[in-house]
Amino acid sequence: MSLHWKSRFIWSLCLPLLASSRSGYFETFDEELTVRALGDGKVASRFSFSTLLAGATPRNPQNLSVEDESQHYTLFPLALGQILREYAVTELHLTLNAGNWDYQRWGYPDEPDVGTGAQLWAWMGEGASTSVDARWRGLRNALAGLFCASLGALDEQLTTSPALAFAPQGALPAWSQPHAVRHAALAAEHVCTENLTPFLKLLPCKARAGIAQLLNPHRLFDADWHGMGLHVEWLPDTGVQVRLTFQSVTNPLRASSNRRDWSFSSTFDRTIDRKCPSASSSRILVTDPMNDGYRLTPTPWTYEGQQLTWTLDDPSLVGGNAVFDLIKQDVPLDVSMRWAVEFAHAARPPEAALSIQRSLHGASQAHGTVAVAIANAGPDTVRAAYLETMPWIVTFYLHTLELRVDGVLRPDLLQSLHYTPPVPHARATTLEAVLLLPPRSTLHLRVEVTKAFLRYTEHPPDAQRGWDLPPAVLVPLPFANSSALTANSTSVPSNANDVRSARRLYTRALLVDPATPDFSMPYNVVIFTCSVVAFVFGSVFNLLARRFAVVHAPVRGT
Amino acid sequence: MPPHVHPKGTTLRDPSKLFYQTDYNRRLIIASYWVIIVLAVPLWWYTTSIERLSLPASRVHSHAGNQLRFPVHIKLESAQDASLSISLQQLILDRVRTSPQAWKGLDVKVRNPHGVEDLADLYTITPGDGVPLVSQRQLTYPIRSATLPMLADTLASLLVPPTDAHRVAQYSPRYRLAFTLLNEDAAAGKAILGWDISGAISRHLLPIFNALSVLHNFTVESQVQFHAPLAFSPTTVDNCYGLTPEDLTVFVNSAEWSLSSSVSNDPVLHFILFIPSASRRPLQILDANGRPSPSDAFLLPQWGGIVIYNPSAELQSHAQLPSPVLHSVFSTFAGQLLALLGVPSLPLQLQSEASVLTGWQLDALLRRRALENAENAQDTLKSIVKLVDQIENMPVGQDVKGDVQHSLTALDQMYTSVSTSLNETLHQSAHALTLASRAFFNPGMLALLYFPAEHKYAVYTPLFASALIPLIAAAAREFRAWRSQRREAGIQ
Repeated sequence: MSLHWKSRFIWSLCLPLLASSRSGYFETFDEELTVRALGDGKVASRFSFSTLLAGATPRNPQNLSVEDESQHYTLFPLALGQILREYAVTELHLTLNAGNWDYQRWGYPDEPDVGTGAQLWAWMGEGASTSVDARWRGLRNALAGLFCASLGALDEQLTTSPALAFAPQGALPAWSQPHAVRHAALAAEHVCTENLTPFLKLLPCKARAGIAQLLNPHRLFDADWHGMGLHVEWLPDTGVQVRLTFQSVTNPLRASSNRRDWSFSSTFDRTIDRKCPSASSSRILVTDPMNDGYRLTPTPWTYEGQQLTWTLDDPSLVGGNAVFDLIKQDVPLDVSMRWAVEFAHAARPPEAALSIQRSLHGASQAHGTVAVAIANAGPDTVRAAYLETMPWIVTFYLHTLELRVDGVLRPDLLQSLHYTPPVPHARATTLEAVLLLPPRSTLHLRVEVTKAFLRYTEHPPDAQRGWDLPPAVLVPLPFANSSALTANSTSVPSNANDVRSARRLYTRALLVDPATPDFSMPYNVVIFTCSVVAFVFGSVFNLLARRFAVVHAPVRGT
Repeated sequence: MPPHVHPKGTTLRDPSKLFYQTDYNRRLIIASYWVIIVLAVPLWWYTTSIERLSLPASRVHSHAGNQLRFPVHIKLESAQDASLSISLQQLILDRVRTSPQAWKGLDVKVRNPHGVEDLADLYTITPGDGVPLVSQRQLTYPIRSATLPMLADTLASLLVPPTDAHRVAQYSPRYRLAFTLLNEDAAAGKAILGWDISGAISRHLLPIFNALSVLHNFTVESQVQFHAPLAFSPTTVDNCYGLTPEDLTVFVNSAEWSLSSSVSNDPVLHFILFIPSASRRPLQILDANGRPSPSDAFLLPQWGGIVIYNPSAELQSHAQLPSPVLHSVFSTFAGQLLALLGVPSLPLQLQSEASVLTGWQLDALLRRRALENAENAQDTLKSIVKLVDQIENMPVGQDVKGDVQHSLTALDQMYTSVSTSLNETLHQSAHALTLASRAFFNPGMLALLYFPAEHKYAVYTPLFASALIPLIAAAAREFRAWRSQRREAGIQ
């Protein structure tokens, strides 16, 4: 009898294993490279590697205490899958960028997250035995280990929950508990080869075959702008999608004075000479610059997008993309674009309708003013959310917030404001303002700030350099009742669907210089205090313990 | 007239008549300074010292001498007279005497069939003709006086099977088993793009997981990699590529193969199916003489197992792993897993009724793991005590002390349970080892290790030296004055 019971117990232990044996999802891997000639002669390239785990759902955090099903992956990166399951992350976005994206010259980027430095944001379900914040901490550290980046420094002092600007891009499962967003940015993080190597290891073909062969660190990190990203989303009808992206802006004009010709071998110093056997699609898109004559070699496999004119003696097309299908095309493949005429430097109209500039004014180490200029070059009024996630060392004087257009105060342009004040040494500021940007004008937003006086141990190494403040974010919103802002920030905005398509604009990072102490101070203080104490003690003690006596001096000269 | 000269006619007050200038009061003042200093020293000592709780060193040392002794009762069934069991007992004792290390911790007693029947964990030997047969805790063996030495040898290999201690992974209540299908270079063509891992695991490994569930829990994960280059070039031996025994030691290219998983601290056992690149087939393991060996698998001690599979030439360009290959690979993996976990194999001449493991094998494994854990736990505890004794700046907090105490308690419980339940003994030994290791690796013990006392004195000296020197000088002067006063009083 007892044996029988025991065997049943053993079976119950193994049940999760049994259940796992039918897990095993259909996985597909797609890779794509988009190359776009920019107006200022530079070339933007965007690599996108997406792995789909068809039919999979994110782990429900309420099951975190139960043993997880076994993870069997073919194309999906196991190291990442483990992190996602361990911390029950529904949606995750990590970007590591270097440089400032120039919206005016380069237009909107293909991947919207271009803020300088590291940025991590994740949507996680509540209701687990471990809190969202504990899992957020674990996620940060796990990703820091995976990508060799200082993401562990994205601590509670930098973490905010801006649900409006960082709405989920995929879908959130309808669990009984709501989801919460956590966001943190670290502008001072540098991106380099040590981050790219683990990034490449997550790809099925690494950098040994397919489009990823072009990811040559010597050239990528030499580019004018470069950044990598990891995006995990849940798409309810398809599954869990992991997308690894790499964007760069290279400058062919730098090598040859006025020729903006580019090719894989000149841009990346590599060509594609092997196909990735596990890729179900592998495409290279070259966006048509829609001006001037140019020649694209080899002949593209097909064209997509807008209508095209194509004659043999003048192979130029209008609109759309030239598509090279790596699965059908011959390798080695070295796509190149040659222009008929030399590049002429000239003033060009801005590529992006919106632009945002942010600066920190004031010479004092205690106070300053944040000035933001948001220009709307378009013909329509734009409704947009402006988000600041300041570390607590910079505190806004919210009553000094003023909006001006052409020097005239326009408080009516501020539709709503959501402000979470900072907690010194603990929590960052969140300021989310929904603004109306009038057409063909510039909105100036000013707010006075106070800079914190930091504790001795809170200063970073190289304290005199100052602190990097994360970029502010501007998100265009549709015209609607702004009910989302007044709602609890942890809940999903009701107009999430509309926000999803919005392009986020990032400002540059700022540098703030709080007052720094003399770092040899502690020992000086010790010595100084000791001297004073010794002096006072000696005087008092001498007065109390000295023996006074009258000395009769012989009086002379009388 | 100089201004400091007192005018004539006035009398000076004698300073020694001032109340604080009397000898008694002055000495009282100096003495009170010293009293305060002396009283303050313990407080200063207390506030600046490191928290070092005393560890139960005597208990640790008394435990270190202890050794587990498992009682093993063997019932010789239907032996006509007691002489057979007595001579079997004698034969076993001889073997214990010749190799005491192997029989360490075992207390074998052969019982008469008419003896006590109340023992639960009783090994039974029943007479039977033909091939010896083992089942759960039973051995069917032709019992005759002539076969007794052979029976004793069989019992020895069942109770204390020989093992390779270097190969067996360290005990852990939970292992992570990472299966990886590695293509050396899928782009070179004819690669294996997938496998039916779930089916293979449930067929080959689930019975092992069930059989070992009293010892370990397992987490299983798997991945497929398409580009996993070797760190060296295999040698070419007539129309095939070969891995020399030296190559096998550096086979795993941990820099390029992302095998490790970082989300948990459980020890990982890796099982790798390596598909050589199409340009390097067939890849074979060479023996010491440089001849291709018939085996296609090898084991890395305490790390995992590797199987090399050369797809046949008829294979389609890219394919799933063929089902017969999958099953042969996974039965190799299963064997490697058993070897890594230290599961003893049955002696060759015995036949087994059990599907995976017999009670004899499982008990031998439980006993050895419990012995190992107990020894490790005792050694670790001894090391903690020694370390704390040696390094005086090392803080010992309540958590370390608690872990050490609980570990000792677990050891105590292990010794009391040894005669009743093997599972409980193993459980307690593992618990003791976990706690002892946790205490040993407690990060709090490192806190002040590198903060030397000299730093403290460097801060205190400017304060204390300048205050203490006048105090000592005044006390010495006053002491001298008091002594001369005494002497003068004595003369008078």
